[in-house]
Amino acid sequence: MRFSLRRLRAIAIKEWKDAIRNPQILLTAAMPIAFSFLFDRKEASDPAVVAFPLLLAVSITGAFVQANMVAEEKEKNTLRMLMLSPASPAEVLLGKSVATSALALLVMIGSLAVTSVPDANPIGLTALILLLLIAFLAFGTTIGLLSRTVTDISIVGLPLLLVVIMGPMLGTSLDMGWFSAVVDWLPTQHFVLGLTGLLDSGSLAGIGVHLAALAFWCAAACLLCLGVYSRKRYDK
Amino acid sequence: MEPAIAVSQLERHFRNKKALDRVSFEVARGEIFGFLGPSGSGKTTMVKILTGQLQPSAGEAFVLGKRAAGRRDPEQLRRIGIMTDNSGIYERLTVYDNLALFRGLYEAPEKSVAGTLESVGLAGEARTTVQQLSKGMKQRVALARALLHKPDLLFLDEPTSALDPMNAARIHEALRALNRQGTTIFLTTHDMAEAETLCDRIAFLNNGTLSALDTPQRLKLSHADRSTITVVASDGRHVVNNDREGAERIAGWMRAGQLLSIHSDEPSLGDIFVKLTGRTLS
Repeated sequence: MRFSLRRLRAIAIKEWKDAIRNPQILLTAAMPIAFSFLFDRKEASDPAVVAFPLLLAVSITGAFVQANMVAEEKEKNTLRMLMLSPASPAEVLLGKSVATSALALLVMIGSLAVTSVPDANPIGLTALILLLLIAFLAFGTTIGLLSRTVTDISIVGLPLLLVVIMGPMLGTSLDMGWFSAVVDWLPTQHFVLGLTGLLDSGSLAGIGVHLAALAFWCAAACLLCLGVYSRKRYDK
Repeated sequence: MEPAIAVSQLERHFRNKKALDRVSFEVARGEIFGFLGPSGSGKTTMVKILTGQLQPSAGEAFVLGKRAAGRRDPEQLRRIGIMTDNSGIYERLTVYDNLALFRGLYEAPEKSVAGTLESVGLAGEARTTVQQLSKGMKQRVALARALLHKPDLLFLDEPTSALDPMNAARIHEALRALNRQGTTIFLTTHDMAEAETLCDRIAFLNNGTLSALDTPQRLKLSHADRSTITVVASDGRHVVNNDREGAERIAGWMRAGQLLSIHSDEPSLGDIFVKLTGRTLS
């Protein structure tokens, strides 16, 4: 069956209307903006601190809001009804991701309104944000699918996401070789290093390796998500 | 005409347990078919196989002419409607928004939402948030969602469970109206009264096997005790033999103008189920 923009739009509108009436999602989305007041880049010299408001906006909104949406669908037995409609998995997941991305965009604008926009190549900055957002949307969907309830998200995903999100900050402050080695692989670290590169040189060529690493993380996260989805789409 | 559902020697195993064991039946187009059994008898497994959520272990099933093979088939899903006992509606959204989502998913006409809400008696609640509705109204929203795209075949799982008689009657009326328009209905329930009210034919499922399959009337007649007849006359209730002497006594009450009612002694569907399986439905 052909891909239907009408179905995708119906799912995205539903997700948006549901999200803005969900206090848990609104609170989660407000957190990065609140944290932005603590990470005002004008007073920061550490690149991780410069990138942190953006990182939080993309990761918390992208991963936790998406995980919340998917887990709630499973908990309330609504995901099954979507799966038993003609909507394809791609339409369902993309519809959810469009709504989450719109929310992430608003949160980013709110965060940047507090901390001010990094003075970086806009194409490079957009590419870094987009790749990181796709990876976190896929992580969020996977965590949501693995969780039986919304409460399970904190058990399934919180420890992992805390390491991924906080890694770049902790890697520079903790003197632990093995942890730094792990952090070097994280998508968030590549985001921070890419943003630092953009701030330093302003050229896209200088951050090619980080864009490639983020693209790899996107592909891996999407494959993982599709694998989990094929097994877990029908909620019990 | 090709049947709406054709199931032949169907089996489904979960590890060493047989949830369905060589089940065969057909459901004609335009029929309301009741699939009755207690919890754990295999009803839900059958619906999952017929709707493509599970693959059969052996045997075969055809739904609207296509093999049910445990795979999502969007074209097939467009032709069927499903209402589960766990309604799965979005509580924070309005009634209209819930249906608008599924109108989009099924690419149904713009006017379908208003028409469907009218048919289930919820036209006045379109802008109400679902969490503000009563249990009966939520069930009707779930039914409206299943009917929205005018399916050829409708799967209903306990559609009136936990509803008061008035709400149950409303849903029954909506289902009959849909059936008159040609929709085949596959109803799983353990409510014998509902099955008898709605269904053209019913099948009893017990421990994954079919124990009986016929019209409610024929099932009751075939298990009826024809040897006695119960008469209520103005002087009380009498059980008379179904013979010449009994006929004379009944005629006597009739001539005297004392006969109030007369009943053949038919068992209920619940009694027949117990007789056939040794189990109760609840």
